[in-house]
Amino acid sequence: MAGIRIDSVTKSYGGLAVLKAFSLDIADGEFVVLVGPSGCGKSTMLKILAGLEEASSGTISIGERDVTDLAPGDRDIAMVFQNYALYPHLTVAKNMGFGLKMRGTDPAEIERRVNDAAKILGIDHLLERRPRALSGGQRQRVALGRAIVREPQAFLMDEPLSNLDAKLRVHTRAEISALHKRLRVTTIYVTHDQTEAMTMADRIVIMKDGVIQQIASPDVMFREPANLFVAGFIGSPGMNFLKAKVETTASGTTAKLFGHDVKLPVANAATLAGKDIVVGLRPEHIAAGPGQVSFTVIPRLIESLGSEQYVYVDLPEEHRREASSGGEDESRRTSLIARLINPDPRPPEVTLTLSFDPARLHVFDAASGEAIR
Amino acid sequence: MRRKATQHALLYAGVALTCAILVFPIYWLVVTALSEPSQLRQLPPSFWPAEPRWGVFGQIMAERPILLWLGNSALAAIGAVTISMVVSVLAGYSLSRFRVRGGQSLGLFILTAKMLPATLLVIPLFGIFRNLELIGSLWSIILAHATLIIPFTTWMLKGYFDTIPRELEQAAMVDGCSPLGALVRVILPVSAPGLAATALYGFVLSWSDYAYARTFLTNAQGNWTANLGITTMKGEYISNWSDISAASILVALPILAIYLFLERYLVGGLTAGAEK
Repeated sequence: MAGIRIDSVTKSYGGLAVLKAFSLDIADGEFVVLVGPSGCGKSTMLKILAGLEEASSGTISIGERDVTDLAPGDRDIAMVFQNYALYPHLTVAKNMGFGLKMRGTDPAEIERRVNDAAKILGIDHLLERRPRALSGGQRQRVALGRAIVREPQAFLMDEPLSNLDAKLRVHTRAEISALHKRLRVTTIYVTHDQTEAMTMADRIVIMKDGVIQQIASPDVMFREPANLFVAGFIGSPGMNFLKAKVETTASGTTAKLFGHDVKLPVANAATLAGKDIVVGLRPEHIAAGPGQVSFTVIPRLIESLGSEQYVYVDLPEEHRREASSGGEDESRRTSLIARLINPDPRPPEVTLTLSFDPARLHVFDAASGEAIR
Repeated sequence: MRRKATQHALLYAGVALTCAILVFPIYWLVVTALSEPSQLRQLPPSFWPAEPRWGVFGQIMAERPILLWLGNSALAAIGAVTISMVVSVLAGYSLSRFRVRGGQSLGLFILTAKMLPATLLVIPLFGIFRNLELIGSLWSIILAHATLIIPFTTWMLKGYFDTIPRELEQAAMVDGCSPLGALVRVILPVSAPGLAATALYGFVLSWSDYAYARTFLTNAQGNWTANLGITTMKGEYISNWSDISAASILVALPILAIYLFLERYLVGGLTAGAEK
């Protein structure tokens, strides 16, 4: 096991830069998740780390070793692919032992390690089967097993759960986390699913257009998003955004939200006077009934999940942001979602009072999108 | 329901007609082989000889060196297919996987070579083989057939390799294989159906050649291939079409046997691109 240092790695295809100065230090035994939308460069970064793609510039070290120019097989890493990439002509046991065989490991030692890994993953009864005779979940375990038996310096996982059904995905997610706690092997995990990132990671690296947006633990990422993109990406449903202007009133530096002068939870608020801002409010921080800042709405739609309700409300015109070119969901720009826990059954299109605590608000610079604290 | 039955009837009638058109020449070859030569020109024609000459096959094998011709054809086909497969596996894999400058033009160039008629190459190849002193040697048609087969097999294999996920060889490389090692240890075993289909295609191309063998081997009687040998059975004034047909059946049998043996792989190989 070893830490990993990625230093200013870039990758361009012709004139198209898909990774821009990517730098990251990963501690020995850490579980780091690279997350972001499709095309953000996360899988490219993982392939560069594996040696399957060449970086345009920058260096990569695993442990004390500079591996930038080494072949994939010489980096002492193991990779789990999105489609598992099991060798269809080999049995499960031979699939798992293939990497050891390539390294000239003694056959008795290969058998011992394959059996040990198979027991850990509960696939010891499948060792003589071919991949085509396995279910999706079993294939996924074999792919994990193939990585484990190698006892590598690091595991690289490229969206390994995306081919599983929702229920199995949740189950396997927990299993991978448990496996990591048991083996403590440095793991870099790529996903576009923020729930996977939040539940599995020691640290999340969130990316957009080849640029790291924020590196933080899941809790910090959720509580203190660095910018509008992170705030909108992390959390389900994503954060609500309301356009507003900072004003100086008798009660201090405020923004007018739903007709109320609401005090902003930022230091040095006075310096913001007159500034255009975007106020962020998480759906779960909106409560039913009156509170510190209350407003009445007529819900457009109520989705009930039993233990919780998603209440969709049209945003007042003054709080709607201009359409961005970033492919943002139009309905999120014009509506507000409240996530109500243990709610009473209620019909839509009946007036409802909602409220929030101003201390829960997030403030972003409308021009740059950066968080203001 | 009635409409469905009519549709089925029409479908079966169509299939039966197509089969009849395809099978009739083979059937007629058998009838010709088993008939007395004197019966062949009678009108109306006989659709099955009254006394089939079953002994004709043994008779022509005794009169003509059919086994030698078949052996030469087999050697030429195996040699040409071996060379073609080695070249086209590497070429097809490269075209499928590596994005190199000019790669697309190279692929197009090979495709164009595929479209040229085989006879176009006879004269230039004759010149080359004469300089190499290969005229009369089986190597002449092995190499000539390889030039014919390689463009086809390269494109067939490129298409097959395109259907194999890249992650397979990436996984092999992470597991410690070199790119060539990943090809040999993982991609080729996975491609067995495609390789079988492609090799058989090349084998049939070589086996059915006449023009090259006629040009390069005419003066080397010991190296005659089956097709070339059969044509020598046709006399200038009199031809025994019954014997020629019987010899043709004997020459076609090995291909038929290989087809039947490889059918399972062939179906898999030829439909492999249909689904990921």
